[in-house]
Amino acid sequence: MIVSFENRLLQFIGIMAIFMAIIVVLFPFFWIFLESVKPPSLGGRPDIWRFELSWENWSEVLLNSSVPLNIMNSFFIAFITVVISLICGAPAAYAFSRFRGFQGARYSILAAEMMPPAILILPLFLILYKLELIDSRIGVVTAHLTFVIPVITWFLIGFFDEVPKDLEDQAMIDGYTRFQAFYKVILPVVRPGLGAAAVFGFVLSWNDLFYSLLLTGAGSRTLPVAIASFWTFRGIELGKMAVAILIAVIPVLILSYFIQKHLIKGIGGSGVKY
Amino acid sequence: MGQVTFKNVSKSFGSTNIIDGMNLEVHNSEFLVLLGPSGCGKSTTLRLLAGLETVSSGTISINGRDVTELEPRERDIAMVFQNYALYPTMTVAQNLGFGLKAKQIPPKLIKEKVNEIAYLLGLTHLLNRKPNALSGGQQQRVAIGRAIVRKPKVFLFDEPLSNLDANLRLEMRAEIMKLHREIGATTIFVTHDQEEAMAMADRIVIMDNGSIEQIGTPTEIYFQPKTFMVAGFIGNPSMNFIKGKISNKMEISMPIGRIKINALLNLGEDIEVGIRPEKIKLADSKSKSTEIKVTVLVTYVELLGPRAVVKMKHESGQELTSVIEHDEIESYKVGTEINISLASQALHFFPKN
Repeated sequence: MIVSFENRLLQFIGIMAIFMAIIVVLFPFFWIFLESVKPPSLGGRPDIWRFELSWENWSEVLLNSSVPLNIMNSFFIAFITVVISLICGAPAAYAFSRFRGFQGARYSILAAEMMPPAILILPLFLILYKLELIDSRIGVVTAHLTFVIPVITWFLIGFFDEVPKDLEDQAMIDGYTRFQAFYKVILPVVRPGLGAAAVFGFVLSWNDLFYSLLLTGAGSRTLPVAIASFWTFRGIELGKMAVAILIAVIPVLILSYFIQKHLIKGIGGSGVKY
Repeated sequence: MGQVTFKNVSKSFGSTNIIDGMNLEVHNSEFLVLLGPSGCGKSTTLRLLAGLETVSSGTISINGRDVTELEPRERDIAMVFQNYALYPTMTVAQNLGFGLKAKQIPPKLIKEKVNEIAYLLGLTHLLNRKPNALSGGQQQRVAIGRAIVRKPKVFLFDEPLSNLDANLRLEMRAEIMKLHREIGATTIFVTHDQEEAMAMADRIVIMDNGSIEQIGTPTEIYFQPKTFMVAGFIGNPSMNFIKGKISNKMEISMPIGRIKINALLNLGEDIEVGIRPEKIKLADSKSKSTEIKVTVLVTYVELLGPRAVVKMKHESGQELTSVIEHDEIESYKVGTEINISLASQALHFFPKN
């Protein structure tokens, strides 16, 4: 293939643009990483680039802080939130996909999503307080369900829309109830969607700061809250904070990579098709 | 096996009537074809019988048992869908055995039955494949296998051949007929392809706008169409229609001429006169009172292998289409005028609507 000079130039400019974009996106991560391996004595000095490598921040955070417990909390909360959200969201999404009586119902889930969380926090706080669930992981799970269930439901509608209705009709003729058809035939077909929705919901819960900040205490504190708490009255412990940030970000990056293909389909695929 | 009865069955979605007071009796072991243009309600009829849609009024019974309110799984029917609806996450063997599993038949017996059906349909070497690794014809075979393995009372086919290419369609058509002869189960087959209907059916039900136009054997439907719709729908190329008026008690006048017929008609009534393309012949020198001789201009000749379709135009503007044998083609030259004859016994009369 003969490639003209102009095409080559365009290609070169394109590649350079992508490079720039990558640098812009990745530089903060690189900078946070540098911050995490600076000696604590240089902490809070982002302008210093030459220093001796030190793992002190890492060992301090991993061995002598509450961060491991916070990771466990975050993991537990995100996991339980996702499991409950899938159990509720998958049948809901299936119903929204198959029974199209009132189109507005479909969009009402989005409306729930668009409400500022501040509206819910007061009633949630009061209810959890009465139930003595403040500073408990279950309390945070309850709060997270308010935004993860709608997202997962919305996310899955597009996947169910793509499964031909004939499949469950066939299963019902083959001798199964609609619910059996749903979980024996339809759910296995949308498994990639369930996986992607699970990861998406997990990341949402994992990253949440607002509810966790207000509903947790020492025992149930999540990782984002822990990151924020390195901002103390003595100043920002930037090195330790950097370590915690990296720990928080890495699973998100890895998971996002695996679901990127389905992520776009899930977010974009729930639109009106008819 | 199964006898199916529709009694006054209606189905409406909102204010739209899909099926309108349908009465239909499907005999035991019969191969019944529902035929009609798209949107005529034939697939809905099938789905009503399967229990996938609920009837608005009327009753459906299978072997005398009222199944109107029953779930699909309680009706003992099997259905083959247009897109085959194979379970994509299961292997061929699992697809075939899925219906048996619902009946809680022991796995060993399921395996035996699946193997038996697979052998019957030539699927044995494909049992461990997933549906997406099969060709269209193989998928079709699995869908049929999945239906017959359960030995249901009634088989329903919803345009199962329309996604196949022409050759495969003929092959599968023959195979379905063969299976029907062997198994002898009552079969209801929906199609919009009249050739398929003619070739396969014991009886054909022609539907239009949610109601039955005519029920009959393929021969009856073709040679004695009862309504204008049936006459126009069946046959390819379709029947010629000429507007006419009853001018005398036993005579009809049309733009192309008058003809005497042996039937009493209502004077002054406007009617549609139909004649099948293959019934339009070249006129010979003898003149009979029971035929019209017409001079027409040949406008178009289309050769279709052994036969040809000829389009002709009368000076009144009336267009006619005829089908001729290949050896007659010399007599039909585009741009020339020819004499044709329409025999009265080949004419069909329909009240004008």
